[in-house]
Amino acid sequence: MKSLKVLSIFTFTVITLAMSGCSTHTPLYNYGEYSENYYALKKEATPESAQEYQKSLEYCIENAKESRSKRVPPGIYANLGYLHLKAGQNKKAIENFTKEKTIYPEATFFMDKMINKVEALEQEDEK
Amino acid sequence: MRSKKSALYIALLTLTFILSGCTAGPTYVTKGSEFPKMYEQQPRSLLILPPMNISTDAEAKDYYMTTIEMPFAMMGYYTFPVEMVGDVMKQEGVYDTEILYNLPANKFYDYFGADAVLFTKITKWDLSYMVLASTLTVAIEAKIVSTKTSEELWRYTGMVRVDLSGGGDSGGSMAGLLIKVVATAVNSAAADYVTYARQANSRLIYSLPVGPYHEAYMQDQNMQLVDQTPKDQ
Repeated sequence: MKSLKVLSIFTFTVITLAMSGCSTHTPLYNYGEYSENYYALKKEATPESAQEYQKSLEYCIENAKESRSKRVPPGIYANLGYLHLKAGQNKKAIENFTKEKTIYPEATFFMDKMINKVEALEQEDEK
Repeated sequence: MRSKKSALYIALLTLTFILSGCTAGPTYVTKGSEFPKMYEQQPRSLLILPPMNISTDAEAKDYYMTTIEMPFAMMGYYTFPVEMVGDVMKQEGVYDTEILYNLPANKFYDYFGADAVLFTKITKWDLSYMVLASTLTVAIEAKIVSTKTSEELWRYTGMVRVDLSGGGDSGGSMAGLLIKVVATAVNSAAADYVTYARQANSRLIYSLPVGPYHEAYMQDQNMQLVDQTPKDQ
């Protein structure tokens, strides 16, 4: 009787360990609901879906640590900077474009091009 | 007597193995043997182009577009932000045109600094209605082309086919038949193609050699995958 109890505890432990092993497989990046919200925005562009999309970008930045890489996923800072640019917040746009290329040097060429465009726009405004 | 019997067993077993080998199941290749150029050129960044859509559904393209970045980034590549890239291409007047797909690959290096370009093609995105069943099929073809040499570095296809009819056995009575027809219509309306597009993506992505941001970078040459190259008959 006692050995049966030990056996059942043992079995339970093994199963628990095996199952927890599955759930600890952390993804490389924490994208949150980015893909779902991007899809919702494409399906129907409303002020609400646009806001949800921006929120999901901010979520990726705030919760980047909960991932294997601990990094903000590729393109997220760039996307957020682009939203700021469209909203006329040039300074914030440049800030985010700079962060994108700092984390991912692969983006340097493209981000510099965007930053130059924003700066050119600003100079035009000053005239 | 006994040894004779076991010898017979072995012979039978061997024969079974040989025969089963004859039926054409999938053949396997490795990432290293199938896509050597990925390991030679080692692209770090992928420029995701707007998908080509040859399916019957016109909206498929915009919806599918939202599913591509994540899986390729998760495989360890820098993926350019598709929304921004798309807008830049629209401003240049090449988005959604034949021009885009016929541009020399090095143009994408000149404009974005991308090491490689990712082409995707939606070959199937449709629901086939029948009276008692409906099937949803999503099929995606993907390939990576180098912006330095214009060579194709990788190509694979992912397909998902789902039976949406659901419901239990109706037993053939008229009332049961009606219930099933209604159930089919309801399930079809609720079917979200994008969910299945993501599944199709996961079926093709596993064949891709992982990129520089992945822990297994340059160590997955021996990983096996189903051979999709058409056989010469």
